Amino acid sequence: MSIIKVERLVRDYGGGKGVFDVSFHVDQGEAFGFLGPNGAGKTTTIRHLMGFLKPASGECSINGLDCWRERDKVQANLGYIPGEISFFEDLSGTEFLKFIAEYRKIGIQNRREELLERFELDPRNKIKKMSKGMKQKLGIVAAFMHDPDILILDEPTSGLDPLMQNRFIDLIAEEKKHGKTILMSSHMFEEVERTCDRIGIIRKGRMVAVDAAASLRERHTRSYTVTLESESAAEAFAIDFNGMRKGLKVTVTTKQSLEEIFMNYYGGEKHDEHGAV
Amino acid sequence: MTNMALYKREMKGSIKLLVIFSAVITLYVSIIIGMYDPELMKTLDGFVEAMPELMASVGMKADAATLLGFMVSYLYGFILLIFPMLFCILRGNALIAKYVDKGSMALLTAAPVKRRTIAFTQMKVLVSGILLLILYSTILEFICAESGFPGELDITSLIMLNGGLLCLHLFIGSICFLSSCLFSDTKYSIGFGAGIPILMYVLQMLANVGGDAETAKYFTFFTLFHPDGIIAGESQAAVSSLILLAGAIILYALGIIIFDRKDLHL
Repeated sequence: MSIIKVERLVRDYGGGKGVFDVSFHVDQGEAFGFLGPNGAGKTTTIRHLMGFLKPASGECSINGLDCWRERDKVQANLGYIPGEISFFEDLSGTEFLKFIAEYRKIGIQNRREELLERFELDPRNKIKKMSKGMKQKLGIVAAFMHDPDILILDEPTSGLDPLMQNRFIDLIAEEKKHGKTILMSSHMFEEVERTCDRIGIIRKGRMVAVDAAASLRERHTRSYTVTLESESAAEAFAIDFNGMRKGLKVTVTTKQSLEEIFMNYYGGEKHDEHGAV
Repeated sequence: MTNMALYKREMKGSIKLLVIFSAVITLYVSIIIGMYDPELMKTLDGFVEAMPELMASVGMKADAATLLGFMVSYLYGFILLIFPMLFCILRGNALIAKYVDKGSMALLTAAPVKRRTIAFTQMKVLVSGILLLILYSTILEFICAESGFPGELDITSLIMLNGGLLCLHLFIGSICFLSSCLFSDTKYSIGFGAGIPILMYVLQMLANVGGDAETAKYFTFFTLFHPDGIIAGESQAAVSSLILLAGAIILYALGIIIFDRKDLHL
């Protein structure tokens, strides 16, 4: 059953910016990766799902509820990490989490402590004094602490170090196991490839491809098998190039960069202009 | 309709400004009421005679007979207009537009709380602040007058007068609030929210000078607050205050509706 549905969504900002005729859906218990370069329309689409923007045409719904008209009902069961988190800087992390819990009228959050521990975050500092990574962690805790069934995550790992990125990916995997429906945007192929079942690629406001992560991976990875002179050379080669050794033969796999994948779908044109929409 | 967690947070955010403005009002009100003294009155009247335009522009006129008339002349033309107005401008902008501009409105809208509830709560915070300031001024005026000149103050008239003042500031607050709801950029929200009341006040100052400039009074809502008329018990003055109140209710409602329907680029 489709939990998140976007149908023929259009929002034209002029100058080729915006989203044009975007459609996709995310099923119950599925993780959907929303992939695209900066300014491709990921955040604009997410803003429609969040009920921040009214669709110029087309429709967005979550759990059968219209994302614009019934946004408060949609929000009851939703966790959101904004692409650019802006907190109340006057509060400490602890005060902020307490405020959000009271504001959302959620009772005791047994998940709060678990999440703080998982991301090694000490929330007692003033948010103003926190680093970008700490703020991101705080945003993650705020989005997950009320244990929502649906998660909309806009570039959730930005600012996190690789260790924390891995912890986040583990968290997503666990959530998925618990049947949560996840929409996660990213501009990094590796990130969505590791977490998502299906991937939608958006470019210049248009959905270029929606496919299973496995088949995208297959299509966009290239393998080379080389034969080396000795087993020891093969062993060393396999370690250096992260390959699979079989006797004297070593198979190495390369992933295409996001840009190359786009080139596949779009041909000629180079990287999109920067600038968030 | 009200989210208590948000209301509490924002009232805390109002405290600092309320304390500062209350302190300034305390200073002026106590000094000016203390100056109600026939001897000093002569000095002030002397000023009015020496530079009638300047004194009139801030609402100060000669020959204020009663204590309340004296207060109207020296408090209700400047001090009690400007400071609550500044409160409206600063808080009005901060309650909605600043959050939208900075992006932290996303924290409030990404929750099972209706936008109408968010806007209504913020409106209540602004109105509560105005109420507290006017209430405090009333009590302060009462205490200063009773301690300095027992029995001289007509309390019913004072309450009527400050009722009118409250209507005026609720209206000013509604302009700031509407502007805050309408614009997603603090540049414009402050521009209109502060610009309109200040422009209107300048027109009022012009109108007070008299002469040809008096026609300016038809272009400013400050004319609808008519302190002399209120203490004289004129029904027209009461109607004017009610017009301000009705205008305020309309603008607050409009602000809430606009915020409910607008696109938020958070």
